[in-house]
Amino acid sequence: MKLASTLALSVVVVGVLATVPWWGSAVLVQFGINALILATLAQSWNIIGGYTGYPSFGNSVFYGLGGYGVAVGMVQFQLPFAAGLALGVFLAVLFAFLLGLPVLRLRGHYFAIATLGLAEVMTAIVSNLEIAGRNIGLILPLLKGDTLFFELSLALLVITTMTVAWISRSRFGFGLIAIRENEEAAAVMGVNTTLYKILGFALCSIFAAIAGGIHAYWITYLDPTSAFDITLNVKMIIMAVFGGPGTIFGPVLGAFVLSAISEVLATKVTSLAGIFFGLVIVAAIVFMPRGLADLVRRFRQQGWRYFQANIQAHRV
Amino acid sequence: MQLLWQILINGVLLGGLYALMALGLVLVWGVLNIVNLAHGALIMLGAYACYYLFTGFGLDPFGALPVAMALLFCLGYLIQRCVLNLVIRAPMFNTLLITFGLEVVITFLAQMIFSADFRTVNPSYAGANFLWLGATVPLVRLLAFGVALGLTFALWLFLDHTALGRAIRATAQNLTAARLYGVNPRQLYALTFGIGAALAGAAGTLYGVVSQINPYIGSGLTGKSFAIAIIGGLDKSIYVLVGGLFLGIVEALTALYIGPTYTDVISFGILVVVLIVRPTGLLGRTA
Repeated sequence: MKLASTLALSVVVVGVLATVPWWGSAVLVQFGINALILATLAQSWNIIGGYTGYPSFGNSVFYGLGGYGVAVGMVQFQLPFAAGLALGVFLAVLFAFLLGLPVLRLRGHYFAIATLGLAEVMTAIVSNLEIAGRNIGLILPLLKGDTLFFELSLALLVITTMTVAWISRSRFGFGLIAIRENEEAAAVMGVNTTLYKILGFALCSIFAAIAGGIHAYWITYLDPTSAFDITLNVKMIIMAVFGGPGTIFGPVLGAFVLSAISEVLATKVTSLAGIFFGLVIVAAIVFMPRGLADLVRRFRQQGWRYFQANIQAHRV
Repeated sequence: MQLLWQILINGVLLGGLYALMALGLVLVWGVLNIVNLAHGALIMLGAYACYYLFTGFGLDPFGALPVAMALLFCLGYLIQRCVLNLVIRAPMFNTLLITFGLEVVITFLAQMIFSADFRTVNPSYAGANFLWLGATVPLVRLLAFGVALGLTFALWLFLDHTALGRAIRATAQNLTAARLYGVNPRQLYALTFGIGAALAGAAGTLYGVVSQINPYIGSGLTGKSFAIAIIGGLDKSIYVLVGGLFLGIVEALTALYIGPTYTDVISFGILVVVLIVRPTGLLGRTA
């Protein structure tokens, strides 16, 4: 019953969202594309960060590789968009397999910092590559069609979320969760931890790369600093954590809420929006460290004591 | 050969400053188990403190150093006491994110208050240099190098030979046992973060003297500090010196032989390789 109502509600929400380009203003549609892409990134991070418990700061590399796959394919080889996307996804999955193997052996801080380092290395390498336009970047062919990009981004988010829903109730997903809770125990129970972690990493690389490809074609311009932006990586993490990591709808909810808030603020004062973004992170970690999803569930039972209990649990 | 010698001198002088940058990060990481992503932003604040003390009060940058350290100590103490102490027992990932939030707040506040313009601190002796064994040694960089070495040594003396320093190291090893001996962790954590921030303030003052500053230098400096901390290892503050000198020399050599645009590839590449091959640092104990 609960499953059926959740499904019905999701179908209605997606259906309403799909009509937005036909009645919404140009500004709303553009905001929508950005929010959908960010939600996809937060959701794909959720697979490795939320379910597997490996806080990757390198997912922006997948996003950047997806963008460069499309840009290099379309500009240097005159390939169609879809072929460029395939190239981007191929590069990202290759990266996930080759570098996931050594990096996923690390844990905690060390994993986070190693992935952060990888992202920096990729930025520097791409800005020295002739074929990628060095640090000046590439200009893609112009395609005017916000409606198309909106529907593409929406479809991508739906597929990503369905994948996460599948993960949360599949044998593969239980393996990932077991790794998050206790990696040694998972190995003892017969989970091939190395294989599972790499597959999880590769799976999230696919969605992040497609998101990067769509975004690059949409804004028709790509340069190394914006393609491999660390801030983008932190944004997807914040959105996933704000919404609720390791849940199906939490990261999407977090991405929509935070995008809307910063959009409203950005139209007023830009630097205030930045300060607010930082304060939201600080307040969210202090008062609701398990995200909106947990807040909604527990607040009904506990009321305001919920926040107090969170602080009590983690203070010194 | 002459050129190589000069490059080595440059690298060593830069490396001393790098070590000081990473010192506070390593202290906080080792004792509080917090990876402080706001560390570079604190260095940036130290640089601005130096700039305003120099232009506003005519204070010599090296005279401004203790003042900047005191200011940053107070700020660091308050940050730990009012914010970080509330989440210190949360999973490591949450403390990592919260320091990122602090970095964002500090950077944007700095942009509002100081403006985004580039600033430089130019004391009268800024261009002075002398020849040593055929290499040109800029006076300011040598002074900065000396101060950085002195502060690293002072931190080592403090941690190894004072009661408070021993309390800090004891807490890093075992919080419960330290508590039984009468250590107040709230106070001690705040003091430790304060010292880390003061060291960032000192590094910022020196950075302001040798380089241009703006509100956005923080995140890059955090990245460099990480690389140094990881290369040296977290066991002893002295190891940071090795990490700093190593990175300074490697960067100088890279700029000469491969090209200045590749320095980041090399330094972060080394970071990743060291993490994978020897996660405890080049000099650290093998786990």
